[in-house]
Amino acid sequence: MGNYFSTIFGAFTAILKGMSVTFKTMLKPATTVQYPTEKLVPYEGYRGALLFDADTCISCNLCVKACPSFCIQLENATNEAGKKIAKVKWYTIDFGKCNFCRLCEESCPTKPKSVWHSLDYEITFFKRDEMVRCWQKGFEFIGKYFDREAKEFKKPEGQVQIQTTQQRCQY
Amino acid sequence: MTDKPSESDKPDEAKKEEAPAAKPAPAKPPAKPPVKELPKPVFNEHPTHPAYQGRASRLLHANRMAPNRVWEDKWRLPRYRNGAIMLAGILGGLTVGAVLIDRFGMTVWMKLWNTLFAVLGRVAAAAGASADSVAAAKAFAETSPWIWSPLKVILVLHVILVAPIFLVWWERKISAHMQSRFGPMYVGWFHGVLQTVADGIKLLLKENIQPASADSWVHRLAPAVVCFPAILAFAPVSFGGDLIAADIDVSVVYIFAMAGISVVGIMMAGWGSGNKYSLLGGLRSAAQLVSYELPRGFAIMPVIMFAGSLSLVRIADAQSGTWFGFVPRWFIFYPVVGQLSFLIFLIASVAETNRTPFDIPEAESELVAGFHTEYSGMRFSLFFLAEYAYMLLACLLMSAFFFGGGNPPLPGLDFVPGWYWFLGKTMALVFLFMWFRWTFPRLRVDRVMDLCWKFLLPWSFANIAFAGLYLLF
Repeated sequence: MGNYFSTIFGAFTAILKGMSVTFKTMLKPATTVQYPTEKLVPYEGYRGALLFDADTCISCNLCVKACPSFCIQLENATNEAGKKIAKVKWYTIDFGKCNFCRLCEESCPTKPKSVWHSLDYEITFFKRDEMVRCWQKGFEFIGKYFDREAKEFKKPEGQVQIQTTQQRCQY
Repeated sequence: MTDKPSESDKPDEAKKEEAPAAKPAPAKPPAKPPVKELPKPVFNEHPTHPAYQGRASRLLHANRMAPNRVWEDKWRLPRYRNGAIMLAGILGGLTVGAVLIDRFGMTVWMKLWNTLFAVLGRVAAAAGASADSVAAAKAFAETSPWIWSPLKVILVLHVILVAPIFLVWWERKISAHMQSRFGPMYVGWFHGVLQTVADGIKLLLKENIQPASADSWVHRLAPAVVCFPAILAFAPVSFGGDLIAADIDVSVVYIFAMAGISVVGIMMAGWGSGNKYSLLGGLRSAAQLVSYELPRGFAIMPVIMFAGSLSLVRIADAQSGTWFGFVPRWFIFYPVVGQLSFLIFLIASVAETNRTPFDIPEAESELVAGFHTEYSGMRFSLFFLAEYAYMLLACLLMSAFFFGGGNPPLPGLDFVPGWYWFLGKTMALVFLFMWFRWTFPRLRVDRVMDLCWKFLLPWSFANIAFAGLYLLF
């Protein structure tokens, strides 16, 4: 008999405990955000879409060798005598292959880094051409893509929305 | 403790400027190449999409979401403070509005009524009729049951049909906040209040699909059979004062009888769908509803014994007055018997309305959606309407049986009208139902039956015996 009532009492207190948990949670502020209008800026160290600076790059090929998915290609620039110089002629990252591992940024020897991760997590593509980002001298950090139908470089429209990009490592 | 939150409340710009300064400077700074400016933040805002109109887009720093910091000092969040102020404002506004309607509503209404007949009289005079006929029509309209009864019925009917629109939205908000979400936010001007209206319009426009294996007539008839007793069962519920569709003496029996008919509709839905999940859901529902009718009925026997009547109005009236000047004479405050019968009635009501701790008829993880798997469009929403109508009915019954109906909780609060207290208590109980639903996991089928037959039913019998002892001494 005592066991019966203690079981009932135990079940009752457990129920009340559970209800108090949900009630307290209800009074706490929500942890989600209204995504399309409110966007979270990720933590520092987030590996978003890659950005590249053609001016600082010394075309050392370290990022190409570091890349585990072989998505980076580049070509040295040459001077008038036809000799290779420590500048990049063109540089491409295939975001269709890229796995956002930061090995290219870690291997980059320049100060500041020539290739680095932004905080942009909204990178989207509508065509296969758009996946291959190209950089040349004078291009923006975000680069362009080569449209094979129009035979020209085009700006990636509406690509980098979270543009409070990570502080580019200066040392 | 006090400094920390103010730091987190700083605007984003200030934070960005601080961040580079905080980094340790290199020992030998190299000649920096000119750093290109990054473009300003861009939002992919749609120029015409309604979801983006009139809403300030903003970037939020992720560290604002660290739960321990946010929850420690929630009162410092302006959103939280505003929410509390808003809630207090809504409740206070409703109270003040109720008092004002109670004071001046009848005067305003009579003024409008007289104006209407004055205008009618002028029109009639212009048409050549005598003034006496208009006065006779006015007297007829004021006294005849043929005018007032349909008006009352229409008003009460609207309470039933409009309340689910609000209740569904409320349930979605409560469930969202119990899971640290927002819930519907976009439709309507205030936290998505019109979400249910939009969903209702969507359901009205949807096609009614009937499976090939369905029993056509039964499948079509089932939603109506579920829905019409739910509406009929509201007839003897008094919404305060004269606002009662049918004041019958055996209203408790009537309500329970009407609510029992819905089981037939659920069985029909389960059978008629031609689907094994629906059939299982319908059978489970029948077993559960028939079982829980018993403790539910026996739980209110003490109340009926104390009140000496089966009429809801008289049961509510029997609870007016106070003990010791401050404890209201509600049946829930009768020691042991009141609480016991309330708990049994509450548990049985949750089971009767097929809500979550006992939602085995529509167990989503086992039976897809139970008896309404094969329904779409407005037929589906009729099941929904019936469910929420029954929930509202159960809460109305509970507030009439155990919480004194329209009697104020404290003696000094008589100036607030009775219907406000009645509906307020009902809404508090509805919140209790939703709280249950989003707290507890579903019981197993055999446990549901065990709880009913081995626990609730014996205790409801014992409770009747206790009540008899009370009345004896």
